[in-house]
Amino acid sequence: MDNKNSIKNNKNFNKVSNIIESLAINPNPDSVAVLEEIGTNSSIDEVRELTSRALVKRNEHNSLSVVIANRGKGINDMSTVVAMSTINELLSLENKEEAMKVLENTISSETFDEEVKENARSVKALMALS
Amino acid sequence: MSTVEKITQLSHRIFNTSANEQNTSRTSNPFAVSNFQKNILTEDVFESSKAKEAKNVSFTGNLSAGSKRIYSTFVGSLSDLGSKFYEGIENIVAFSRKVWDGVVNTWNKIQEIGNKEINLEGAKNVLNKEISLDGAKNVLSMDITSLFAKPKEREIAKMAKMDPHSEVKPMLKEALSALEADMTAAA
Repeated sequence: MDNKNSIKNNKNFNKVSNIIESLAINPNPDSVAVLEEIGTNSSIDEVRELTSRALVKRNEHNSLSVVIANRGKGINDMSTVVAMSTINELLSLENKEEAMKVLENTISSETFDEEVKENARSVKALMALS
Repeated sequence: MSTVEKITQLSHRIFNTSANEQNTSRTSNPFAVSNFQKNILTEDVFESSKAKEAKNVSFTGNLSAGSKRIYSTFVGSLSDLGSKFYEGIENIVAFSRKVWDGVVNTWNKIQEIGNKEINLEGAKNVLNKEISLDGAKNVLSMDITSLFAKPKEREIAKMAKMDPHSEVKPMLKEALSALEADMTAAA
């Protein structure tokens, strides 16, 4: 907890946070690629958490696919905090239509790992209940 | 002597007491020497009480019918003076009432204004109708909250307009490297 508070008071973390937030609202679709390339591959959990939430906020097919259908990213992240935070953001979406489509595609597709499919199935059940 | 002349004489005596007093030297008056700046009362103030009793002064008995008329005229003039005095008071009362009414009206006006809701919608409509210039219209319809936005929100809004690959990506890489360096130093 102390480490988390100390990083959130860090000037450079605030700078990274602002850049990720700007990419969340940037109308340019290339923003998703930047977030995926830099943010989701960061070694810092807090940065991956921010990135996943930003991708969910965009609520686009490509951005949602990154956090739902990729192993080690978003809901499949090794960090429980990152995975739970992404799920929470998905549940908070006003329009869940696109997220449900991506989840169904992930569940029905043969190309994805069973672990990824299982996570997608669980999240879909939660979203159906919410 | 006519009545009018008598009144004139009397009023002259009343309002110019010193002018008509005679400088009479009396042996019985000890103040005659000092003369009271030459204004000596004709009435002998040192008249003996016996003499007074003998005179048997009466306010009505010794007055002649002519004198009564004169005095009544004089008293009448005094009552006129009184009516004028009352007229003056009435004027003051009327003036005070006017001032009071003014104060009450002002107070009512203030309360009326306070109870009214100020509606700027009409003014806004007028502005929108009258101004045909697009630029000015945009300024008027602009959300003024953006002018008071926090520095963080302004910065985010500014970066959101940048190109993600050419502008934002280098910035993110740089900031992330600096953050990782900070974390390594802290560990």
